Amino acid sequence: MISRPIKEGFRGVGRHWGMALSSAIAVTITLTIISIFLIFSWHLHTFTKSVEYSMKIAVLIDSRHESMAAEQKIRNQIEQIEGVKVVEYSSKEQEFAYYLEQYDDAAMREAMAPFGDDNPMSDAFYVEVEDGDLIETIASQIRRIEGVSDVDYGGQTTIDMVAAMITIRRFGLIFVAALSVLAIFLIQNTIKLTIGARQDEITIMRNVGATNGFIRAPFVWEGMIIGVLGAILPIALTVYGYYALYERTKGVVFSSLFHLEQPMPFSAYISAILAVTGILVGYIGSWLSVTKYLRWKR
Amino acid sequence: MIECSHVYKKYKNGTNALYDINISVEQGEFIYIIGPTGSGKSTLIKLLDGEEIPTKGTVKVVGIDVGSLRASQVPIYRRNIGVVFQDYKLLPTKTVFENITYALEVIKMKKPQVRARAKEVMGVVGLGEKGNAFPHELSGGQQQRVAIARAIANRPKVLIADEPTGNLDPGKSDEIMDLLERINRKYGTTILMVTHDLTLVNKHRKRTVVLEHGHIVADLAEGGYVRHDQ
Repeated sequence: MISRPIKEGFRGVGRHWGMALSSAIAVTITLTIISIFLIFSWHLHTFTKSVEYSMKIAVLIDSRHESMAAEQKIRNQIEQIEGVKVVEYSSKEQEFAYYLEQYDDAAMREAMAPFGDDNPMSDAFYVEVEDGDLIETIASQIRRIEGVSDVDYGGQTTIDMVAAMITIRRFGLIFVAALSVLAIFLIQNTIKLTIGARQDEITIMRNVGATNGFIRAPFVWEGMIIGVLGAILPIALTVYGYYALYERTKGVVFSSLFHLEQPMPFSAYISAILAVTGILVGYIGSWLSVTKYLRWKR
Repeated sequence: MIECSHVYKKYKNGTNALYDINISVEQGEFIYIIGPTGSGKSTLIKLLDGEEIPTKGTVKVVGIDVGSLRASQVPIYRRNIGVVFQDYKLLPTKTVFENITYALEVIKMKKPQVRARAKEVMGVVGLGEKGNAFPHELSGGQQQRVAIARAIANRPKVLIADEPTGNLDPGKSDEIMDLLERINRKYGTTILMVTHDLTLVNKHRKRTVVLEHGHIVADLAEGGYVRHDQ
């Protein structure tokens, strides 16, 4: 059996279905944007992590310091820098082989191979850092070590791109917060109408000894029902839309660095967040509205 | 049962509604509060049912200092009193039976008890057969009976009636008075009735407190009242 406040809540939605619908649409728009934002943010987060994770500093060694002792000395100095995780050595021969691998074309590789005899490459260290944020500072510290001819972490553009995306995410967050407030405000107004329509009933309830909590419950349910109604479409869009995106892209966007999450359980988690947000927005909006009304009455 | 001592009420807008009100009502008493419009009758009711707080003095009902109650305690306090209004305040979309059960459900009485008690009070007010009727299908007198049934359903110790006969013709007013007197006698319910129907006051004589411009100008134990300006 459905309890009284829930039944009354549904009745309230039915009574002002026009207002309830417009509030629900506001919730729908908000939640759709929140959904896109969450999917974007989550992938940005994993992408940033993977970029940072795979980012290494290439340290080229001056040809005058190619002796084993000198290289060991440089290695020790690098290892002593705070934030350095792993230091790997790569000889100039390995470097040349790697250079050749960059050519997809076999003929080109063959044409370049003779240059290996007079190897123009340097011995190098590849330094992995613990945190991507440290990469710049560590690189400049390594640059100051004697015997280091050049330092390259090749990912400045990537770092800039990630930084730009983080900025976008920050503005997105503000936008989402503003939309949520708007949805709360609309629900608040809808509930205010319902309260107006049921003023006599509230007066009677007060007179026969109903507590504020008892009076408040159906209105709060009404708000939460509107929130749930508003969440249906965004959830459907998230589940089907994300699945379609995943199928179309085979889970890879832009480059192999950027993988999409498997649709399940990822879209289920996003849906759960949307449902909870919808309910919460409805709850807050209606609670504010009723409390404002009840506060001034004894 | 009701104890007002040195009660003053001044509203925030500066209106002085009551001055030094002292009333003591014993358990089982039936008293009238009379006075012209603006004399402070409505304010007195608001102080008694906890809607307003006295500016000075104390209002005690069933031993509870109503003015000192926190807002959250007021609803619980109200379960001790029943209130009847001039305009009945019935829910138009609910039947007679539902109007009464509603008041009991609000205070979370158990379902079987609610039904039994609703039937019982409908019998008390003489509307045993009208349970399925909607308020608009009833006469004014019958609607007021429903309101009275609802007010006494929770067995309140005090019944406050705010102009209960204000919208009724003299014949129906008499019937309502008979009903209230019966409730007063049978259940020992203390009744405080606000009215300006002097014919009624003189016909059904009871202790009468007269308010004018916020002051008690007379407290007549034997009842009956003739306006001094007539």
